[in-house]
Amino acid sequence: MVFLAAPLLAQNGDPEFFEKNVRPVFAKNCYGCHGPNRQSAGLNFSTGPGSDGSRLLEVVSYAADLKMPPAGKLSEAEIAALKTWVDAGAVWPKQAVTAASAGTGGKQITAADRQYWAFQPVKDPAPPAGKAEAWAKNPLDRFILAKLEEKHLTPAKPAGKLTLLRRVTYDLTGLPPTPEEIAAFEADNSPTAFARVVDQLLAKPQYGEHWGRHWLDVARFADSTGMDEDHVYPNAWRYRDYVTNAFNNDLPFNRFVMEQIAGDLLPGQNAEEKQRGIVATGFLALGPKPLAQQDRIQMIYDVVDEQIDTTSKAFLGLTVACARCHDHKFDPILTRDYYALAGIFASTEAFRNLGRPGSVSYIYNAPLDPEAANRYQSHRWRMFGKQLEMEEALAEDWARESALQSPRIAEWLIAAKNATKGGSQDKDAVKWRHWLESADEKARGSYLKKWFEATPDTIAAVAQEYQAAYVAAAAKWESQMAGWRNRYATEMAQDRDLPARPKPNAEDAPFFAAAGFNGGPLELHDSDRVAVLRAEWTALQKSLGPEPPMAAAVTDSVPVDQHIFLHGDHHSEGAAVAKTFPYVLAGESQTQPAKGSGRLELAQWLASAENPLTARVIVNRVWQWHFGEGLMRTPNNWGKMGDTPANPELLDYLTKRFIESGWSIKALHRLILLSNTYQMSAEASPGAKEADPLNRLNSRFNRLRMSVEEVRDSVLSLSGNLDATLGGALVPAKGKKLDTDDLKRRTLYIPVRRGSVPAVLSNFDFGDATTSSEGRARTNVAPQALFVMNSRFVIERSGDFAKRLLDDAGLSDAQRIERAYLMALTRRPAADETDSALSYLASLEAKLPGDGRRLAAWQSLCHVLISTNEFLYLD
Amino acid sequence: MLSRTPPSRRTILKQSAAGFGLLGLRSLLAAEGGAPNPLAPKAPMFPPRARRVIFLFMHGGPSSIDTFDPKPRLIADNGKPVPFKRGLTFGEDGVKGLMKSPWEFRQHGQSGIPVSELFPHVATCVDDLCVVRSMVGDGVDHGAALLQLHTGVFSFRRPSMGSWTLYGLGTENQNLPGFITIKPTLGHGGQNNWSSSFLPGEYQGTPIGSSDMKIEEIEKEPMPWLIPKGLTAENQRFELDMIQKMNRRHAERNAHDADLEARIGAMELAFRMQVEAPEAFDMAKETEATKQLYGLDSETTRDFGWQCLLARRLSERGVRFVQCSHSYKWDQHTELFKLHTKNAAEVDKPIAGLLKDLKARGLLRDTLVIWGGEFGRTPWAQGADGRDHNPYGYTLWMAGGGTKPGSIYGATDEFGYHAVENRMHLHDLHATVLALLGIDHLKLTYRFAGRDFRLTDVAGTVAQGVFA
Repeated sequence: MVFLAAPLLAQNGDPEFFEKNVRPVFAKNCYGCHGPNRQSAGLNFSTGPGSDGSRLLEVVSYAADLKMPPAGKLSEAEIAALKTWVDAGAVWPKQAVTAASAGTGGKQITAADRQYWAFQPVKDPAPPAGKAEAWAKNPLDRFILAKLEEKHLTPAKPAGKLTLLRRVTYDLTGLPPTPEEIAAFEADNSPTAFARVVDQLLAKPQYGEHWGRHWLDVARFADSTGMDEDHVYPNAWRYRDYVTNAFNNDLPFNRFVMEQIAGDLLPGQNAEEKQRGIVATGFLALGPKPLAQQDRIQMIYDVVDEQIDTTSKAFLGLTVACARCHDHKFDPILTRDYYALAGIFASTEAFRNLGRPGSVSYIYNAPLDPEAANRYQSHRWRMFGKQLEMEEALAEDWARESALQSPRIAEWLIAAKNATKGGSQDKDAVKWRHWLESADEKARGSYLKKWFEATPDTIAAVAQEYQAAYVAAAAKWESQMAGWRNRYATEMAQDRDLPARPKPNAEDAPFFAAAGFNGGPLELHDSDRVAVLRAEWTALQKSLGPEPPMAAAVTDSVPVDQHIFLHGDHHSEGAAVAKTFPYVLAGESQTQPAKGSGRLELAQWLASAENPLTARVIVNRVWQWHFGEGLMRTPNNWGKMGDTPANPELLDYLTKRFIESGWSIKALHRLILLSNTYQMSAEASPGAKEADPLNRLNSRFNRLRMSVEEVRDSVLSLSGNLDATLGGALVPAKGKKLDTDDLKRRTLYIPVRRGSVPAVLSNFDFGDATTSSEGRARTNVAPQALFVMNSRFVIERSGDFAKRLLDDAGLSDAQRIERAYLMALTRRPAADETDSALSYLASLEAKLPGDGRRLAAWQSLCHVLISTNEFLYLD
Repeated sequence: MLSRTPPSRRTILKQSAAGFGLLGLRSLLAAEGGAPNPLAPKAPMFPPRARRVIFLFMHGGPSSIDTFDPKPRLIADNGKPVPFKRGLTFGEDGVKGLMKSPWEFRQHGQSGIPVSELFPHVATCVDDLCVVRSMVGDGVDHGAALLQLHTGVFSFRRPSMGSWTLYGLGTENQNLPGFITIKPTLGHGGQNNWSSSFLPGEYQGTPIGSSDMKIEEIEKEPMPWLIPKGLTAENQRFELDMIQKMNRRHAERNAHDADLEARIGAMELAFRMQVEAPEAFDMAKETEATKQLYGLDSETTRDFGWQCLLARRLSERGVRFVQCSHSYKWDQHTELFKLHTKNAAEVDKPIAGLLKDLKARGLLRDTLVIWGGEFGRTPWAQGADGRDHNPYGYTLWMAGGGTKPGSIYGATDEFGYHAVENRMHLHDLHATVLALLGIDHLKLTYRFAGRDFRLTDVAGTVAQGVFA
């Protein structure tokens, strides 16, 4: 059994007053020096006041010699609270009381809380009977019809055939239907024509790209850590591809849930499935991370918080993260529920290494092939070890040679001076003279100036000066190198980034840097021993090979004994909590997992058919992604501040069928798409718009502005230049920025740095990729219009589109216009529209200069079509 | 393909008048039952002192104790071991003894506010400044500190103060973005520092270039897709007329759906922005005297001078919130003397120029100018000649916008490490800035994920002491 709140023991003093007003003062202002981690002067204000309190009041009111806290006087309110507490006897509540009152905030889960609609088991309501039942194509329609009839509304008329084709093609693949697809559908007059189209679309790999993107929004997917340092997640793309494949392969959604939370802990049938499981945990790993946060515990728990927030919103539609500092204000989610989950994620590793002070922490990447990764790592260590061995040998050689040669520098400089006058032919002197005389202008004008200007009278003193400077710099260098070798060994052992080998400082010690290195007369040449070591090192470098594949993933670490953090402050620990799931959903009697982080158990609980939320939440999302709005319109908040579904029976009916189908998303698509509800026109039936302006009852289809992916991918598709390659990393060449104007891949593949989301995405409501998205906004602002009007991308692709039309030599201009309409708008132009387009082409061509005018006019016409509302909005 | 002749402004203006006339687009939309404009000017909650903000952001963390907060105790105790407990510090490497300022301070103006030798030009404006010496933040690294300065928090992504301002007040000029950040840094939170986060996308900041770009590069196309690349102005209008013809026909077929009408309006607005916005960025018409005032005539001051002059131009055109960034310069863990000298020389004259120009034009009265970095620097030396980050007590100053001119607010301890008097936490700064704009920070809320959010989270006290 887990910890249960003990009753309040309000004997002396008022523990609630203490927890609310006094403990926070200590936690905020004093724990840094007198808390759980440090007890300066032996004081620990997380366990007791240390005295009767009068000294405390004196010190905090700055009345005494000792003024605390040193960072500035407490506020009047804080001092008053302390005084009230001291006056009442400065009673320190016993630990049990602390845990009970501060840990849970005292909120109790009531029977009413448990009876909240969203927490009830999924029912299986019978499709209601209605008057116009003949309208219903499948049971889903009967639920819709019943609600409409209650309001005396009728469903909109069916959408036109081509409108429907355009709708479903975009809906399932995010791309326009091709003229061939249009022709095939038009020619098929069988009752199963639409079902056949749906099957064909669901079988396309573009389906997974488009629907995977929906999920990636929920999973706040991005390619970098965002926050402060915005480091790239080099392996994020594997998770993106995993999601795409999961949709394409119709991976049962319950399995999809489990893999994303604990895929690394699931038994895989084979290596491929095992690797898939690891990659799937990118869901937890790819959140924003404040890597430079110097309070590492804060950083870890900010990441934990982010994981709780995303997990609870994505799968449960609950805002559990609200309970970090206090019990949830609106929903029956207690602080202990929050920290129970925190215990699970805190026992899960998201960092490889916490870094040195003043530097960033390292994110964890999991090897997909642990054996290969071990081989790679041990090879690296051998390589680094060899380098260190060589460096040690070099240091010994350096010390020996330096001791021999440095004292003779002055002597050689004098000899070289004389040698220039045809004097000494001593080998060393010649070497020095040669070096000095081959010096460039810059050297002669700076650090060698004194030598060149020296006369026979002054050369001795000048030479001594050079020697002294060299010796001093050499001593510095030796200690710098020793420090570097030490640091190198430490960082290597801790698997951090290795420090770069120092370079001699040409600015501070130019003579030393020039004479002692890179062809200088005192350059140290490899001894035989060093030469052998260097050869071995080089061989090891060459045979290292590329890093084995890694994934942005999590793994279990040492299980943490999680305590509640009072007021969310990790300096101030309350009661211990077991690793359990929100009590209002999972019940009071839960067993703590015997070992491990508890992540696997969490995954199983989330994916269970008994969990009242997980299946409902995804069914609602699927509805939302088909219709633009969910049956429940706050898809990430099913709590009391969230929406109430307008058709809860339908929601449950669909959920039941979904679970029955083995959590098949594609089966759910078919159920929805083959309904009459989906196939209605966007034009409202009489009175429907007035009676139901928000279309909560689905009396008509919602007209939707395309997403940025749909806009950009359609334009590429029309241009004939869409690169249909699936998946993979899209890393720009070194030093190059990825120009999205030139990129021909689908928008899904544009890498998203959280710190600099490409302008085309951010202007079209892509969102922030930082928290789980409830769905894209569909704003209509001028910068979007500027993109359509003036971006190189749209203009150039319009030109490609025009070229395609003109290249088809067998067509008349009127036929070209028809083809352009079919491609861009999925319909044929009316006769007057063709005329209008023809006369537009003629007038514009007359206004344009030069040979290219015909193509330019067509380019403009294509640009016109792409710029219209009819193109941008899906009916 | 198409010619790349840029349109003449006059032609575009003429042509665009033919499109929708000079009637305000939004009123037209309203007349046709279009969606209300979220950026329309909104009345403040109470009479405002300031109507717009210019934030001069010194990225890296200028040292207060070397600029606006002299500490004689550091002169006396120069080199002595640090006698107090150090808080959570960024780098634990190379902590040395106390270090006095290498610059002299002198009192200036009627107010006698001391300013160091680093800012001789700003010193001449000191009677307009309200120097807040008691700033406090919670982030010891740049990323956290930038995020908290701009958004109030660093553990989550939240809307920027510019976005909140826009959400609260709308903006005066519908042909320019209401929240503009000039040459922002893409590091240390990057876009998060000007994002609207969960506020609607209309309130996001519009970046003008980025810190790594040269002015010439930015001037080519100051905002994405602002400059027509295909047809001449006349032909572009001809093309747009064709688009709008199709759009109107489509709208008629679809019962004049408000979204469709709004997009028709957005296309016209975009067409007009092509004219209005480049004009705002074109400094050719400024007099030589003005350019000199901002230091545009010297390589040292040209970049920040251009930013400051642009800030004035945007402000006078009704842009609600403008930020200039001197980025990423002020992080002197080493070479404090050399680099603080260089940094100050780059911004000193442009800042003074901006203050004087605003004043001369009568704009300083209701324009709140804020100067500051993400934190200050430590009174102890880091290595031989550097200072580490210090978020526990540092200086920021304000001018105009109803702040008390020639005044000092708050104080740090005798070492300049902790703010001890009238502490102004970043939450308090945000509450105060909103209050100057006529907004009660407790009432400016937005519901997201089932809860009402504010710029000031659950904190923030308005510092009445900085009001004139």
